[in-house]
Amino acid sequence: MAELLVQQLVNWITLGCIYALLAIGFSLIFGVLNVIHFSHGDVAMTAPFITLGLAQALATALGASIPAWLVLAVPLAVLAVGLIGVLLDKVVIRRFRDAPAMMALVATVALGIVIRELIRHLYPQGSNPHAFPRLVSGMALEISGVAVSWFALLVVVLTVALVTMLFVFLRMTPLGLRIRAASEDRIVARMMGIRDARVFRATFFIASAIGATAGLLFASYAGVTRFDFGVMAGLLGFSAAVIGGLGSMPGAILGGLIIAGIEVLAQTFVTDGASYRLVFVFLLVIAVLIFRPAGLLGRTVMEKV
Amino acid sequence: MQARASLAAPGKAAAAAFTITSQLCGATFLYLILRVDGGWQVVGLLALLGLGFYLLERLPWIADYAMASFARVPLVTMITAAVVVLAFPFFVGSNTYMLHLLIVAELYAVLALALNFQLGSANIPNFATGASYGIGAYVSALLAINFGVSFWLTLPVAALAATLFGFIIGIPSMRTRDTYLALVTIAFGVVVQQLLNNFSWTGGPNGLVGIPAPSLLGHSFADPLVIFGWKLPSQANFYYLSAALVVVAIVTAHRLHASRIGLAWNALRADEIAARAQGINVAWFKVLAFAVDAFLAAFAGTIYAFYVSYISPDNFTFLVSVTIMTMVIVGGMDNVFGVIVGAFLLTILPEKLRAFADYRLLFFGVVIIAFLMIRPQGLFPQRMRRYGGDL
Repeated sequence: MAELLVQQLVNWITLGCIYALLAIGFSLIFGVLNVIHFSHGDVAMTAPFITLGLAQALATALGASIPAWLVLAVPLAVLAVGLIGVLLDKVVIRRFRDAPAMMALVATVALGIVIRELIRHLYPQGSNPHAFPRLVSGMALEISGVAVSWFALLVVVLTVALVTMLFVFLRMTPLGLRIRAASEDRIVARMMGIRDARVFRATFFIASAIGATAGLLFASYAGVTRFDFGVMAGLLGFSAAVIGGLGSMPGAILGGLIIAGIEVLAQTFVTDGASYRLVFVFLLVIAVLIFRPAGLLGRTVMEKV
Repeated sequence: MQARASLAAPGKAAAAAFTITSQLCGATFLYLILRVDGGWQVVGLLALLGLGFYLLERLPWIADYAMASFARVPLVTMITAAVVVLAFPFFVGSNTYMLHLLIVAELYAVLALALNFQLGSANIPNFATGASYGIGAYVSALLAINFGVSFWLTLPVAALAATLFGFIIGIPSMRTRDTYLALVTIAFGVVVQQLLNNFSWTGGPNGLVGIPAPSLLGHSFADPLVIFGWKLPSQANFYYLSAALVVVAIVTAHRLHASRIGLAWNALRADEIAARAQGINVAWFKVLAFAVDAFLAAFAGTIYAFYVSYISPDNFTFLVSVTIMTMVIVGGMDNVFGVIVGAFLLTILPEKLRAFADYRLLFFGVVIIAFLMIRPQGLFPQRMRRYGGDL
C-alpha cells in the first residue's frame, strides 16, 4: 500500500508539473493580452516533432546516433517553438486583441487545426504516432521500496527552475516590469512609454518556450507523440489555468497540480478509472467554477457602473 | 436623395420581381456549387460568392433594398421560398450525395440557429451545443432500439431530456462569465462525450447501430419517395423532414426575437448590469437561452440519428461545437438568414474542398482564420430592430 502510494505520489508530481508548465503559458498570455490562446497546446506539442526532426537530420548529416543529438535538438526546438509563438502572435492572434472574447477563442481553435494539420503534412508519416525517447533514463533514488526515475526528478527540477526564473524575470528585470505593467492596464502602460509590441513579443516567446518544455516532457512521459496530442494538452492546460485563476502564476501551478491529482486518483482508486479520468477532471473543473467563479486564486473584479 | 428614398421603398411589382429573382439566383448558386466537382469550378464559384459579398459591403443599399422588398411582399417571399425548397430535390434527382449534403447542411442550420439564441442574441458562449445534439441523438436512438418507440414519440422525449440538460448547464452559467463560462460549457461537452464513449449501454466508442427508419402514414422513410409519378431517392424523405425542422427553427427564432424574451436577451448582450437595473431577471433569461438551445439541438440530433441509422461519440465532439459556433460567427450573429447561410457554407465548403484532398482541413482552418480577420462582423451583420415605423 505504501509503495502504491509513493508510486502514485511520484506520478502525480510529475504530471502536475507538466500541466503546470502548460497552464503558465495560458495564464501569461491571457494576463497580458486578455486573449485565450487556445492553440497553445498545439504549439507546445510541435516541440517533440521539431526535436525528433532535428535529431534525425543531424544524425543523417553528421553521423552518430539519434539519442546523442537530442542534447542539442531539445534546446533548439524550445527556441524554435518560442519563435513560432511570436510569429503566430504577429500573424494572427494580435488581430483579435480587441475583438470580443469569443472571436479570439474560435480563431485560435482554428489556428490549432492549422497547426495540427501542418504537423501531419510536414512531418514524414505525420499521421502516425512516433516514439519519443525518455530524455534521461535510469533510476535515481529509492523511497520506501519505490524507485524514482531520473526523469521524474528532471521534471520537478526543471519546473522549479523555470518557475523561479519566470518569477525573478517578472519581478526583477525591466522587461518583466513592463510585462506586468501591460497586463495591469495596456493603455496606461503605453502612456508611460512602454512599447507594447515588445511586451507581446516577449510574452509570446516565454509562454511558447515554456509550453515547448512541457510538450517535450509530456511526450517523453508518454513515450510517444502524435499530431493531435495538442487538443488534450490544450484542454487540460487551459482548465488548469482557469481553475487556478487566469492571469495568476501561482494559480496556474496549483491548477496543474489539482488536475493531475484528480487524474492520478481516478486512475488508482476507481475501477476503469483510466477511461473515465477526463470525466472526473472536467466535473472537478465545473465544481470549482461553481464555487469560485473566477478560479481559486483569481481576483474577483467588481464591475463599476 | 430622392433616388435613394425610392430605392428604399420599392413598389409592389418591383419588390415581387426582385424577391423572386434573388431567391432563384440563390437556389441556382446552391445547385451549382453542389453539382460542380472540379477544383477550378469550385474556385470560380467561390470567387463569384466573394464578389457578391464585396458588392454588398461596398453598396450597402442593396441589402436595404432587399430587406425592404422582402418586407413589402412577405407572401410572395414565403411562397417562392417554399416552392424553391420543395422543388429542389426534383432538380437534384437521383444524386444522393447532393441530397445528403443538403440534409446535413439543414441539420447544421438548425443547430446554428439554436446556438444563435445564446451566442447571437444574448452573447453567452456555449460550447456544449454538440453535447445537446448528442443527447438528443442518443436518447432517441436508445428508445427506438431498446423499446421500439416510434420516431415521432422519441422526438419530444429527446427534446425534453436535452432541455433538462440545458437547465443543468444553465445553472452554473448564473455565476460564471465570459472565458470562465466558456470553460464550464466546454467541460460539460467533454464530460457528456466521454461518458457516451465509456458507458456500455451507449455502445461505447462503437456507438449505436441499426436505428430503424421512421415511417409516416405507412410510408417508411427508407423507401423511395414517389410524388406524382416522380421517384425521389429515400434521402428525399429526410430532406423534407429536416427542411420542416429548419422552418420550425426559423419561426421560433422570429417569434422569440419579436417577443419580450428576445428583447431581454438583447438587453443582456448590451449590458448585463443595465439589464438587471431595468428589472430583467438575468439568471432566468440566461438559463432559458441554454434550454432553448438544447431543445432545438435535440431535434436535430434525433433526425440525424434516424437518418444515418448509426451514431458514435465521435459525431458529438468538442470540435463539432466549435464548428457550430463558427457557423454563427461567420454567418452573422443574431441574423437568422446569415446564420443559415453560414451553416450551409461551412457544411458544403469542406466537402467541395475534396479537390484539395488531404489538405482540406488545413485549408478550412486557414479560411476561417482569414474570414475572422477580414470580416469579423460576419457575412450578414445583425440589423437594427425596427418596430414597423420607417426610419
